[in-house]
Amino acid sequence: MPGGTITLKQLTKRFGDQTAVDGISLEVEGGEFFSLLGPSGCGKTTTLRMVAGFEEPTSGEIILDGSDVGHLPPNKRKVNTVFQSYALFPFLDVADNVAFGLRYQGCSKAEAKTRVGEALELVQLTSYEKRRPGQLSGGQQQRVALARALVLRPSVLLLDEPLGALDAKLRRSLQVELKALQEQVGITFLYVTHDQEEALTMSDRLAVMSNGRIAQLGTPRVVYEEPADAYVADFLGVSNLMDATVTRSGSPSQPCEVTIGDFKVAAGCGTVTASGPVKIAIRPERVSLFGFEETGANRVPGMVERNVFLGNATQVVVRLAAGVSLQALVQNDGGAYVFEAGSPVQVHLPADALRVLAPGDSSVAEIREETFGDVSPALA
Amino acid sequence: MATVAEAPAPAPVPVSRDGVASVTAPPSPRRRRSRQWRHPVGLEIFTWVYLAWSILPICLAVLFSFNHGKSQSAFQGFSFQWYISTSSKTPSVLHDAQLHAAVLQTLWLAFLVTIITVPLGVGFAIGIDRWRSRTSSNLNFLMIFSFVIPELLLGVALLFLFQQSFKFVALGTPAEVAALVVWNISWPAIIIRARLSTIGRSYEEAAADLGASRARAIWRVLRPLLMPAIFASAVLVFATCIDDFVLVDLLSSTANSQTMAVLIYSQAHGGNNGPALNAIATLMLAFSVIVAAIGYVAFRLMTKGERQSTTEALTNFAGL
Repeated sequence: MPGGTITLKQLTKRFGDQTAVDGISLEVEGGEFFSLLGPSGCGKTTTLRMVAGFEEPTSGEIILDGSDVGHLPPNKRKVNTVFQSYALFPFLDVADNVAFGLRYQGCSKAEAKTRVGEALELVQLTSYEKRRPGQLSGGQQQRVALARALVLRPSVLLLDEPLGALDAKLRRSLQVELKALQEQVGITFLYVTHDQEEALTMSDRLAVMSNGRIAQLGTPRVVYEEPADAYVADFLGVSNLMDATVTRSGSPSQPCEVTIGDFKVAAGCGTVTASGPVKIAIRPERVSLFGFEETGANRVPGMVERNVFLGNATQVVVRLAAGVSLQALVQNDGGAYVFEAGSPVQVHLPADALRVLAPGDSSVAEIREETFGDVSPALA
Repeated sequence: MATVAEAPAPAPVPVSRDGVASVTAPPSPRRRRSRQWRHPVGLEIFTWVYLAWSILPICLAVLFSFNHGKSQSAFQGFSFQWYISTSSKTPSVLHDAQLHAAVLQTLWLAFLVTIITVPLGVGFAIGIDRWRSRTSSNLNFLMIFSFVIPELLLGVALLFLFQQSFKFVALGTPAEVAALVVWNISWPAIIIRARLSTIGRSYEEAAADLGASRARAIWRVLRPLLMPAIFASAVLVFATCIDDFVLVDLLSSTANSQTMAVLIYSQAHGGNNGPALNAIATLMLAFSVIVAAIGYVAFRLMTKGERQSTTEALTNFAGL
């Protein structure tokens, strides 16, 4: 589908002396599913509202298909929004809600009827035309909001945490549907969420935001596997962060050697050319546990502190001899579970999973607390 | 409004520090807590006394409108004579031309004031609420301020104004309408503002997002959402106008244009018409109750989609 490209250039928004969005620049291609991911207050919603036209940028440009729309009112932009609260008009039935914007496109009555029918079919709500929003479930309301925006055939669809108000199970099934729908209609989706799982599963590319800036921009796999800094590593799912010292710097082809407490291990990704004290990170699913006798390369002795059964896996908190705790994820493969609390183990930290991080910004500490306060965030 | 009459909130289940309901807590602190949450007898007595104090006199006045005799203190048997009798000795409501004129004048005045005040108040409220600026907050203060100015002061000031400067506003109905509009405009403005803040901006934003201009968003989205509040404020303005006395009396011209309130006042203090006065007052009361009841039922119908309890609906209806 042609069109639907968004370019943000040094986009900034200040409220009084608060800077909500601090000079963001990015490009979204036509037909792309692009997510802005970040904790509350990171500026992602303000960015979206500026693209929609509800907030006027303090400075910078919003270029939609080649023209700067930054200072146009929302009704003059070819973008439509799915609101977190849906904002369906309670006094209109589903069909009238969906048809609301068609009037301003100079649509004839017959054409409007056909297009409403098509849009409702697209979101599988054909038989609900005469219902009022109050008579629909949350998931159905969300679909109506989607149909109301898509019926106008916008070049860009903006979605502000559209699944935020739904329960976890429904959210997961709607994620799949939403992604399928986006591929079907081929419209650019700009998606705002604080849920890393949502962003990872649906996006073609995503930007992780922090304090009004973009911390990292890339495909889900790159952002997840190769986080630019500790903040991104931590925000995208649970990550074990440890203090370590580089005792022998590596090169792009050579892993470096780091010391965690008294133990030397090889670390093969990230900033392997660093030296001195660094942070190293490893995902719980990459940590594997072995019996205490099974020593080998890159293995550190530790002791099982706590087991949290998650169903498909067991989350194991291990305390390394060096004094740091880290989480390991042991897949539930049907075999007998052997790592009881208190038992000594060998913790294998594969060199190709052990990442040396460039020193991150100051917000890392506070994000860490948030992540670790919840023992079992989305691990799947 | 009726905060005193509201039922006491149900006692929350006390929860001890570790999150276990205090049923398992040791008996002594539990007893102390339950005493704290027991039925508020004192408040309840006060509520009933308050209700009796405010409602009983009205009931008595209504009762004496059905008195067979002319006394307003001793009940001498039940009769409708003060309402319908044709006897010249007991002038009844049905055959009193002066009274009929007063009823018509009252309704006419209330109607005029309502259809002028409500649209003005709605515009006022939308302006103050949606265009945030220093001017709008000053205007908001001014509006609240007009709420606390004594009615008499406003009346006297307007009387001088209409007599000295704005002579084109004739005393009588035109002056009364102008005064009542000024006096009542805070009602719709406050009620509509309350509703605007419950509605929030998301519906207008959605309308704008779907292509509606500002004016169209107000007309197609805000207007239907505000309809219950517009209606409620119309009912309140109408009901307030029916029994307004100070402004109407100060700015009246001749006895021909007197309202029911003025008539009742002059009859109570001039010639004693006996229970006929009670009959007028009873009719006026019935009228107010009917207007309010119609308003409330319509309000409930219009806000059917929103789930709210009777108390909530009453509170919203009164704009409090």
